[in-house]
Amino acid sequence: MREFMQYITNAFYGATGWNDDNTYKDLNATAKGLIDFPLPRGLRLNLSSLATPHFATSYQLGTIGVVDGSISYLHSTIPLTNIAAQSDRIPLSALLRSYRRLHGLGSRDGQWCWEAEDTTPAGAAQPAASTTSPSATSAGSTLLYGRLYLPQSLLEALVVRRLTPELQVQLSAVSERSLRNGGTILGLMQYDRGKYGIEGLFSTDGGLLGFRGLYNFGGDTSPSSPGSPTGPASSENSGNGQSSEKERIYGRFSAGGEVYYGTLNKSGGMSLGGRFATLPAHRGTPLTATLTINPLMGNINATYAVLAKDYCALATRMEFNVYSYESEWAVGMELWSNRRPAGFLLGADPRNQEVVPEPEVPKIKERSFQAKLEWRLDDEGPGPSVPNAPENCEEYRGVLKARMDQNLRIGLLWEGRAKSLIFSLGTGIDLRKLDEPFRSLGLEIQYSS
Amino acid sequence: MAFNFNWSPLTADAGFYKRARDLLTTALNKSPKPPIIVDDIIVTEFNLGSVPPDLEILEIGDLAEDRFRGIFKMCYSGDAFLTLKTRVQANPLNTCLSAKPGFTSPQPLAAASSLTIPLQITLSEIKLSAFIILVFSKQKGLTIVFRNDPLESLKVSSTFDSIEFVRDYLQRTIESKLRDLMMDELPAIIHRLSLQLWCPDQIAKEDDDSKETSEPGVNPLATPPLDAVDVHGHLLDPAAISELSLDGGPEAQLLFSQKTLLRLSDMTNSQVTSSLDTSTTKDVLIRAWAGPDRFDATATPPTATPNLVRTSSYTASAHTYTFSDSGSQDNGSIPSRPSLVHLHSATAGLSLGSGRHTKSGRKKKTRVVDLRSKARAGTETEPASEQGDETSDAASTATNPMSEPIMPHETLDLPEDELMSSKIRFNRSDRRPSFRTQAPNAPLATQVPSADIRKTDQTEGQASRTSEKAKEPAAPETSKAEWKRSPTGPMSDTSSVILEQAWIMKMAGEIARRVYEEKHRNPGFWDERDDVPPPAYDEAH
Repeated sequence: MREFMQYITNAFYGATGWNDDNTYKDLNATAKGLIDFPLPRGLRLNLSSLATPHFATSYQLGTIGVVDGSISYLHSTIPLTNIAAQSDRIPLSALLRSYRRLHGLGSRDGQWCWEAEDTTPAGAAQPAASTTSPSATSAGSTLLYGRLYLPQSLLEALVVRRLTPELQVQLSAVSERSLRNGGTILGLMQYDRGKYGIEGLFSTDGGLLGFRGLYNFGGDTSPSSPGSPTGPASSENSGNGQSSEKERIYGRFSAGGEVYYGTLNKSGGMSLGGRFATLPAHRGTPLTATLTINPLMGNINATYAVLAKDYCALATRMEFNVYSYESEWAVGMELWSNRRPAGFLLGADPRNQEVVPEPEVPKIKERSFQAKLEWRLDDEGPGPSVPNAPENCEEYRGVLKARMDQNLRIGLLWEGRAKSLIFSLGTGIDLRKLDEPFRSLGLEIQYSS
Repeated sequence: MAFNFNWSPLTADAGFYKRARDLLTTALNKSPKPPIIVDDIIVTEFNLGSVPPDLEILEIGDLAEDRFRGIFKMCYSGDAFLTLKTRVQANPLNTCLSAKPGFTSPQPLAAASSLTIPLQITLSEIKLSAFIILVFSKQKGLTIVFRNDPLESLKVSSTFDSIEFVRDYLQRTIESKLRDLMMDELPAIIHRLSLQLWCPDQIAKEDDDSKETSEPGVNPLATPPLDAVDVHGHLLDPAAISELSLDGGPEAQLLFSQKTLLRLSDMTNSQVTSSLDTSTTKDVLIRAWAGPDRFDATATPPTATPNLVRTSSYTASAHTYTFSDSGSQDNGSIPSRPSLVHLHSATAGLSLGSGRHTKSGRKKKTRVVDLRSKARAGTETEPASEQGDETSDAASTATNPMSEPIMPHETLDLPEDELMSSKIRFNRSDRRPSFRTQAPNAPLATQVPSADIRKTDQTEGQASRTSEKAKEPAAPETSKAEWKRSPTGPMSDTSSVILEQAWIMKMAGEIARRVYEEKHRNPGFWDERDDVPPPAYDEAH
């Protein structure tokens, strides 16, 4: 579950039109979200509030044997008006969904993915449908965030400032007594030109300097693509460019790299990576595949994530080291359910059923066998060409996430909404130690207003 | 006199190396490892080599068939070697980020991916130079304390010898870790090994002891004396003893023979006053004459000393109160009256405040350590102990460590200037004094005796008041009360440990003085040593 402040920060990015796809750091965010989801430990309670469109607070109380907690405040210079902050209205997808679809490039439509699906359900998937362009007002907008962990006296601070529509600066700092020099500061400068995005960073910890870059090509980035197919069109449907474009696997390639060098400890690191992800306009099964290589350490990491159905996402990850011959694999799954979570606890509530009208699920046509063989879609008129658009997040009330790795460690997480509380119940199971298989157990409850 | 040090029999024992390897493996994995080491450290090969170390005897404090105390100067440059196996993290970015808060982490995508490499390290050409304090007794095994940092140099050869950066890092890290091992773990390992060799029956007991000592308060009745007798001299069966409790009132006192207590307190009082009439005790058991089998639960001192730091924390407390107590009382006349000595040891922990009324402020004058007179004194008492029947009642078990009480006086025999010099030595030249670790513990440890003093002061006050009327009946009351209130079990155990530690402390001071003198004589050598710290300290993280 994403924390409330994370949700608000994402909303800030959405409101200022920042495209957080376009960074090398999040190249394999989808697989990471599906496989490496955090499991709650102990009991944790979150009380959050977006008091004004500019100001949000969050209090957290947890106990794992000892009681700890945190207080956090957030201030944004631009109003975060069109997001739902109440926990009974927050779209669950925004908090819980791991599969991440690419945004439109270069349009800076300012529509954050999940919010877009909720607020403007009709035209969100099409970048051209966005009405206002907030990029004009986004320059100069600032986000301030601070969080104090109480027993440890650990202080986190984050400043995000959008200097120009293309340039954003982030400054994050941690202060704690046990750290060397009392804390660390990380400065991050992000430059996003749509077709490519680069980042430079500096950390006081070891004097680390870093540079990351991502370059997009193919799909919607190629100059010819908006109106015409990129390749030779199939003979059957040469008449309609729009449909022929979506016929093939329609996605975007991204390639990037990162370099780090610690000026104080004289150590460094680098990696190269590539990603292919289908664009929202693609009508087939959305998929994301990434490959990262660390040539210094001989590490090869490949992930593949697929949104098999709208309610089911799967991901696998393989890692191999050519120097040490160590290998790892992990699989993850996300299964959404529209049954009421804890229904047996809350009892049947027919009113609840009526409040949420069943949305008309868009009928996804099965491809014919012939079409599958030819690696194309069925021929079809330019009728309802908006796929997945009227997706209503409220259709689903809970999600089950599961993962397993090569050590037969299983993580199970059940998240959902019960009344106006968003809960997250997770456990870690180790099948190698069958005498005491449960390694961790936790429940996290979030309420916001 | 000749000493015969056998180096090869250690290596001839087939199981020795396996045991030593296991002990070293557990010792190396005990402390939290740095993030660069991602697996357990396993000792695969260990060989002591064929070249024995050079030993120079500096001082021998105690010598008997089953006991030995001495100080050596050891130099070693032999062909011993040690091979370790572990796995290390080769990506510096991974180890660098692993201990840092995630909020400011640069979150590299794949640059911090892990690469673990099996690593084999061979330590050879070990050069040692150390002052060793060695205490051996058949009951307690072998205790070795390094007075200074023993490691002079060693050669670390590993899988990464070709990479200079890694090699230097390994050399640095291993040297610093080995220093810790030598100072903290090795004495404990040797102690355990010696227990296995000489008194294997102690090992099981050690576990029990350590469990017991971990409890906050020790019930003196939990380990009752072997042959407990009641007032009339009849033996008590263990079931009856177990029924007794600490606050059981008068019942508890029945455990200890009235006669013995009377005699004990009598002698204590004769110490308090300057009475010349000091009676002798008949039923004395010399520890040197009794084998390890003679001493069971009560008689044997607690051997649970795997962690030397913990045990040596007693030393500070022992040091403090033996200084004011026995010094003022006995005034160095003890060696001529050996029969009193064990009495004093038995009551040292009990009636701490006994000397404070009369002569607390006085300073002792004797400053010469006369070991021979003590040895002679010891032999003088031997016939007495032989005469006495060997049934050890409460008193005799309490006074078992015959030779121990002599030792605290040596602590006092240090002249003031010697003490001063030892202080200087600690501050300036010795970077790793063994006292450093016990310093924080000392106040804690002293709390117990000081509480004891307070309690005994009260009873002492009552006793002195009543003794004006009738001296004889008052005495047993005092000692009874003391027995009842003393929070630690059989006093002989703790006191003997304390006294032994005090002796070690004294020896440490002596060495410090020698080193200090040597430093004055040859300042260049030591200055050089001081100014250039060992490479391990150079870049402490």
